[in-house]
Amino acid sequence: MAKYLLKRLFYLLLTLFLIATITFFMMKLLPGTPLSNESKLSHAQIQMIYHTYGLDKPVWQQYLIYLGGMVQGNFGLSFQFDNQPVSYLLATRMPASFQLGVQAMIVGVLLGIIVGGIAAIRRNTWVDGTMTIISILMISIPSFVLAILLQYYLGLKAGAFPVAGWGNFAYTILPTIALAGSPFATTARFIRTEMVDVMSSDYIELAKAKGLTQTGVVYHHALRNSLIPLITLIGPLTVNLMTGSLVVENIFAVPGIGEQFVKSITTNDYPTIMGITMMYSVLLVIVLLITDIVYGIVDPRIRLQGGQS
Amino acid sequence: MAENVNVPNDAFQPLGQEEHLDNEKIAAPSLTFTQDAWRRLKKNKIALISMWILVAIFAISLAGPVISPHQPNNAQPAYTNLPPKIPGVHIPGLDGTKSVDGGRVDAYEQQHVPANKYWILGTDYLGRDLLSRIIAGTRVSLMVALIATLMDLTIGVGYGLTSGWRGGRTDMIMQRIIEILSSVPNLVYMILLLVVMKGSLLSISLAIAISGWTTMARLIRAEALTLKSQEYILSARTLGESSWKIAWKHLIPNMSSVIIIQTMFTIPSVIFFEAFLSYIGIGIQPPTASLGTLISDGQKNFQFLPFQMWYPAIVLMIILICFNLFADGLRDAFDPRSRE
Amino acid sequence: MKLRRVLALGAVAAIAAVTLTACGNGSNGASSHKGTLNLTTSAEMPGLDTSKVTDNSSLTALSNTQEGIYRIGKNSKPENALATKTTVSKDGLHWTFDLRKNTKWSNGDKVTAKDFVYSWQRTNDPKTASQYAYLFEGVKNATAIQNKKADVKSLGVKADGDYKLDVTLEKPIPYFKLLLGFPIFFPQDQKVVEKYGSQYGMKADKQVYNGPFKVEDWTGTNTKWKWVKNSSYWDKQAVKTNTINWQVVKESNTALNLFNSGKVDRTQLQGSQVANYKNNKNYVYYQGSTSAYLELNEAKVPAFKNQKIRQALSMSLDRKQLVNNVLQDGSKAATGLIPSKLSKNPQTGADFAKDSQVPDVTDHNLSKAKALLKEGEKEAGISDLNFTLLADDTSTAKQNAEFLQSQFEKLPGVKVSLQNVPFKNRLTKSSNGDFDAVITLWGADYNDPYTYSSLFTADNSQNNGKWANEQYDTDIKNSADKDANDKQARYNDLVDAEKTLTKEVGVIPMYWGTASGSGPMLQKSYVKGVIYNSAGVNFNYKNVEVK
Repeated sequence: MAKYLLKRLFYLLLTLFLIATITFFMMKLLPGTPLSNESKLSHAQIQMIYHTYGLDKPVWQQYLIYLGGMVQGNFGLSFQFDNQPVSYLLATRMPASFQLGVQAMIVGVLLGIIVGGIAAIRRNTWVDGTMTIISILMISIPSFVLAILLQYYLGLKAGAFPVAGWGNFAYTILPTIALAGSPFATTARFIRTEMVDVMSSDYIELAKAKGLTQTGVVYHHALRNSLIPLITLIGPLTVNLMTGSLVVENIFAVPGIGEQFVKSITTNDYPTIMGITMMYSVLLVIVLLITDIVYGIVDPRIRLQGGQS
Repeated sequence: MAENVNVPNDAFQPLGQEEHLDNEKIAAPSLTFTQDAWRRLKKNKIALISMWILVAIFAISLAGPVISPHQPNNAQPAYTNLPPKIPGVHIPGLDGTKSVDGGRVDAYEQQHVPANKYWILGTDYLGRDLLSRIIAGTRVSLMVALIATLMDLTIGVGYGLTSGWRGGRTDMIMQRIIEILSSVPNLVYMILLLVVMKGSLLSISLAIAISGWTTMARLIRAEALTLKSQEYILSARTLGESSWKIAWKHLIPNMSSVIIIQTMFTIPSVIFFEAFLSYIGIGIQPPTASLGTLISDGQKNFQFLPFQMWYPAIVLMIILICFNLFADGLRDAFDPRSRE
Repeated sequence: MKLRRVLALGAVAAIAAVTLTACGNGSNGASSHKGTLNLTTSAEMPGLDTSKVTDNSSLTALSNTQEGIYRIGKNSKPENALATKTTVSKDGLHWTFDLRKNTKWSNGDKVTAKDFVYSWQRTNDPKTASQYAYLFEGVKNATAIQNKKADVKSLGVKADGDYKLDVTLEKPIPYFKLLLGFPIFFPQDQKVVEKYGSQYGMKADKQVYNGPFKVEDWTGTNTKWKWVKNSSYWDKQAVKTNTINWQVVKESNTALNLFNSGKVDRTQLQGSQVANYKNNKNYVYYQGSTSAYLELNEAKVPAFKNQKIRQALSMSLDRKQLVNNVLQDGSKAATGLIPSKLSKNPQTGADFAKDSQVPDVTDHNLSKAKALLKEGEKEAGISDLNFTLLADDTSTAKQNAEFLQSQFEKLPGVKVSLQNVPFKNRLTKSSNGDFDAVITLWGADYNDPYTYSSLFTADNSQNNGKWANEQYDTDIKNSADKDANDKQARYNDLVDAEKTLTKEVGVIPMYWGTASGSGPMLQKSYVKGVIYNSAGVNFNYKNVEVK
């Protein structure tokens, strides 16, 4: 196990290094500078600004400086916030995004398990039909449409929640629902499929034959075995949430990373784009590592070393 | 105890040589895997209806250039933002009126539209016919979805199978590659690729596919790892089946539910990503329409001209719902394990 | 985790979501009360370094929390702020300001003439790399210093004791008083700048204030901050509002929803929102002074060198439809480059835009456009015209581009493809000449036609299309030196120049509109005393009141 972990850690660092490298050079291919009115500046001033951002050095030096800085959590200076370090920007924007992401994940996955589970147990009844329709509807509404509808009808018309902004817990409810739609629907459908599969397997038949109650079968065997593959879904769901947050945060005026990412794209703020990319990547790599380890522990059929042929 | 049972001589007749062989015959007609699936799909009414709706949407969108009432990109700035109007229908929302400050106003009268002109689904901010744009946009969105999904499917299944089946060093290397790819938020990929390639139908499909296939590959690999230690695979191997044949005959059919579910998740997510990229301004470029650009244009006017968002959104949702329901039907039909 | 617990948790979450729906009501409906104003802005404040500031949010903050020689009042009139008396020499080259005594920075330091000298030197020092330093052009040695050709100390600004400031110009600047009301010309406290070093102006407490308000709760990257009344401001009894809360809201629909739910007191309206709120009692219109125009790259597309082709393109545009049916935001159809209400004839009081109008060229006339195009194509020896139209990637810019495309393509043989890129990319492409035609938006830095006219001389770096006309250049040159001190002659020079530009279609004017921060808005009727100016920093909140 320790050997496996060390190995994984090594690959994790390699992964991050490669991502950093690719991102850096791709960004170098794109046009754009920190200057907002280049033609009005003297040569001396332009040189000075380039110097501040380290853009006056050859690309390979910039690359080394960038890598060196990254190890210390320093992503350089943002183009759009005068002289503001990207790491500071990320640090101040992280909490809101993180809170929304975690809330949406918990709400979405738990509701998904419940709805998917009920649908599987009551398979081919009206309950199943209703649950299926709900989850299909949730998957069919793009999160930004959902966000706009929630804001307009629940926020403004019904006045039940704050329309937008950031403050106490009440402010997080609408964006959480808008974000939770996708993980909810994904989980519900996944669980239903898995449980239907599991429930037609031999050991369930055996359990039933032993005289276990319906609840007993579902709790102890069907649901538990269906939850295991759900772990593989956590990674993709995290990515979903990141994507959703880009528009949802914008619509609800949440001071998070997502809306800042969109802004940094439209303003060519490359240091910030790189910083956010790296931050998302680190997060994802860790989530994936954890899910792999957990999956290996709970399902002995998967060998951690990757199996032999 | 003696029992005299009188059996007449002609009560039994000896079996002929040929009839004797019928012991081995199965009464039901023999069906191939696909025939069987189709038979089962036909039983599923909802899936069948969904399929036909999809076929109809495909047909309409393909026939768009012929059947559209207007040119989708023909701007008529004199007739901008007109609400839907169907002559003779007097339901608010379809009679050419829109709500302004609480009351309803006849927008056609206000903008001096000649009496014989009307737009069934209204017009957009440049006076373009919304119906024609939705038809054209549906075509673009479906094309993006199909191209991207096909690429995603081919790469993902091939990659996942190879990785899971071969195992060992190959698996290790392939998994590392996937891990690197899937550790970059896929949106960044898309954005970078789109900035380099410029937003067009093909570049968007490519960008979405390139960053999307890893999920499929991961799932397929996980399945392959589980399946390959199952007894029937082992026995197939023992019997000397080639890897190709095992993959095709055993692995893929047994994974079909995973593949189909994942594909059906891919299609909506592709359509979503296309809409999303358009929403932040780097997707399909104007004046070409896609369902995504139509929705994001429409949402800006949502409070006052709700039809501009609702109609494309409804089309999009119908497509997605039908895909999902059809997928459910397909899964039940294809999955050998769910046979009763 | 035991499965049962998982399910229980899920149920709790579901119930919580439902109950919260019920108790969420309490947080709503609190409208703003006396002394507090709640406003939104569409972008974060990137920095409050007086020398380096470039964006609208920060400029607005600085001009309301700090003060220079003048404060720009109603109708762009410079009013004495730190100055009590201004003396100008006959040739307009020497300015002497007597400064108000005993005004203080919010840290207790005195505001003196030395703060101005320090601030101006710092801004012009190439080491500071101020992106707005070009506004000092005309102040003695400013341009030379920016180009490292002169020492910072040689800048034409001297302190004569603590409360007298002497400024020397190289050439008369007719709009100099307006510039002095712009934050770039404000004083800076040397002690504070040096104390905070690279942190200066990066957080609310890393800057000092001598204006009506102080910035608070701004961390440099957050989206919510406030201005509170500055108790050390010399004219504090004129400040009637205790707090102005700011919130960044980027989606205009979100801002509108916030307004309608009573959370904010003002929101900017866009497109169809305007049509729906035009008759609302809260509707206000702050006319901007942004000019949107199309630059044709004569250096890259030879056909654009032909005046008739340019005229044909200009006449094919139905500007009235553009503003009334497409933009719908109160923008006006342009009859020239320079927007109306920017400047007036010193003698007759007539609007500059009226005086400089040229018949026909900006009127929609498709048949004439077709005829002109035919003639032009013959002269240029071409049979069709294909070009790419470059524009920003905002939704308004995309609408503009689509509209232009549909109008141009009504001309036979004209094919237009669109390219939408982020703002900075557009600027880079424009100044590198990497475009066929580009939609440019230019906002006035100060209320004088020169802010626009100077852009299109042959050697100006903003003349992206490389249109050149000798008569135009002469007129502009005269206005800036020969006639600089003769108001009427200078005005006439600028009118003549504008006429030449319009007639020859040096640029294709589109509309006079609004940039972010001006235009049609909903503003709660209890908000009084907002001073708005169409150029420079738009809003002056010194006297704002919430009644």
